[in-house]
Amino acid sequence: MLGRQQARGAHPAHARPVQRLSVSAPALETTLPRLSTYREAVVPPVPVITAANRTSRSRTGRVVPLRMSHSNQPAPPAIQVLDLEKVYTVHEKEPGLRGSLASFVRRKKTLVHAVDRVSFEIDAGQMVGFLGPNGAGKTTALKMLAGLLHPTDGFVRVSGHTPKERRTVFLKNITLVMGQKQQLLWDLPALDSFLVNQAIYEIPNDEYRATMREFSEILELEGILKKQVRKLSLGERMKCELAAALLHRPRVLFLDEPTIGLDVNMQVRIREFVAEYNRRFNATVILTSHYMADVTALCKRIIVIDKGRIVFDGDLSALVEEAAPGKTVRLELSENVSDERLAQYGALTSREGLFANVLVPRHATSRLAARMLAELPVADVTIEDPPIEGVIGTLFAGANRTAPAAASVEVESATR
Amino acid sequence: MRARLNKAWVLFSVWFAHMSAYRAEIIIWMLSGAIPLIMMAVWIGKARAAGGETGGFNEQQFAAYFLAAWITQQLIVAWVAWELDYQIRQGHLSPKLLRPMDPMWEHFAGHYSERLVRLPFMLLIIAAGLFIVPGTRLTPDIGHVMLYAVSVSLAFCTRFLIAYCIGILAFWFDQATAIDDFYFVAAAFLTGAFAPLEFYPPALRGFIEWTPFPYLVYYPVRVLTGAAQGPEIVRVLGVQVLWAAAFYVLRLALWRRGLARYGAVGA
Repeated sequence: MLGRQQARGAHPAHARPVQRLSVSAPALETTLPRLSTYREAVVPPVPVITAANRTSRSRTGRVVPLRMSHSNQPAPPAIQVLDLEKVYTVHEKEPGLRGSLASFVRRKKTLVHAVDRVSFEIDAGQMVGFLGPNGAGKTTALKMLAGLLHPTDGFVRVSGHTPKERRTVFLKNITLVMGQKQQLLWDLPALDSFLVNQAIYEIPNDEYRATMREFSEILELEGILKKQVRKLSLGERMKCELAAALLHRPRVLFLDEPTIGLDVNMQVRIREFVAEYNRRFNATVILTSHYMADVTALCKRIIVIDKGRIVFDGDLSALVEEAAPGKTVRLELSENVSDERLAQYGALTSREGLFANVLVPRHATSRLAARMLAELPVADVTIEDPPIEGVIGTLFAGANRTAPAAASVEVESATR
Repeated sequence: MRARLNKAWVLFSVWFAHMSAYRAEIIIWMLSGAIPLIMMAVWIGKARAAGGETGGFNEQQFAAYFLAAWITQQLIVAWVAWELDYQIRQGHLSPKLLRPMDPMWEHFAGHYSERLVRLPFMLLIIAAGLFIVPGTRLTPDIGHVMLYAVSVSLAFCTRFLIAYCIGILAFWFDQATAIDDFYFVAAAFLTGAFAPLEFYPPALRGFIEWTPFPYLVYYPVRVLTGAAQGPEIVRVLGVQVLWAAAFYVLRLALWRRGLARYGAVGA
């Protein structure tokens, strides 16, 4: 994992471990409320859907467009989610025979809020990154959007359909790519699986050939399509999975860790493919990934989920600005200077002989850097944004620490 | 309609290719279902000890009955409970659910095409059986073979749907396959694979007649061997259609309820 992170880091900032840049706790507590005010500013207000029209359907079973409180919206968003909730019942058992016997008589149940009143809208053609630590609820949310999981509560609409009904028109319009979860037949060449998909999705022959030609070119499928799937390498298999999942040219793509376990070149290739697909078909894309580079390369908008809740929704650049209100000034000194003297300019985050990193407030960066150049024996200076991994890491850490504050902010924004 | 036929054809041919890759396993698997062949030896021994006939069956009739029972059992084998249970609990059902087709049809195509892979080996066993017990007449005429084809297809559909219903229970229970194991025990006694139903106590037989089990093996065997004639065949086929329809409806109801509980775990 770490090895891959390092291998990937052509940009030195990406190679750094997540926890290196830790902003102090008080700084974050002031950051969070500001984040949510930002969120209200960028995200259009969620339409007010009352209990009466939430389940509104005409007698023919067709979905009636929702009444919006702001009716001047031209086209409905590709994805609408309001107060989406998924609660699991989990049975717990103590380890060992004793625990087994105890659970035999009475099983201990706990409720887990995997997704907890999540709301957002995504316009057609937008690419959005879902970020969050393991178990945050990203995948659960995607599975509900794709119709695999039935929500416990809340409202979901994807290109005008309720996903859990799994209507044919809906299924022909979406795809969900889940890591290495195979839809390919293991003992047969991938081409056979493609033929099955062609038949099931009722893709006309000429369209099928055109799509295959295109995909083969971009993903370099030549030569691997006729090999047994189980003989393919992980990267080759992932390319085939992706091609199979997009054969029917869906307009809404849910990509859950599409690059997991792939080498750097393959990650880049898949990223380019997704970007190209988005351009070609104006497809709406939601992407989750552990590799920040996937998200920074593809998505302008980021939704950060932690413990089933949205803690940030907005521009990637704004996320960096808001969550990490400082920049790092890297100094190479020509002669020794005391730590105390460096600390006058900002927080000294690391010091090794003549090399020092000073964290300074974002708005004062140029002023302080100029002062340092003037007042200190500086041989070289660089100014850097903190790595996005670090930003996200501190955001999660902060969200956990100040959970009550975040919750009250959520309520506030919902009632407004 | 054309799209449907195309779907059926593609699924069938792809799954045939898939099953062909498992031909060695399938033969071994076929051998494990040899109970009727063992019972054939037992009952023929019994008939010989009783002076050539017992309960209205002579050696050749036992041979025909158990050979037909074995063929029928081979043709109605269904492992979908096991497969579905695995897919549900491991989350492998998810990619299938994303496609605009009930995943049942893919399982169906898999089972159906597998029969073709079995066929050559089955013919071999039948020939051996007929050679070992000379004078055995498996079927009186081609008409009965064709009626048997209908009957055994219905039996397969019923068995397949029973297994499917059991597999769906994995949405609620951790080990749905345990119930399928129970089915195997029940089926061995109730379908007529151990003995023709004529040898059962009348009360027990009266009960069995109200279950789908005799319509899976016993009655199709009677159709093939010619023990059943005109009106009985019509009745058998009618009851078979009803059982298949009943389990089709049950399957659909369970499926809809089960999907709401699907956890889509993994990945």
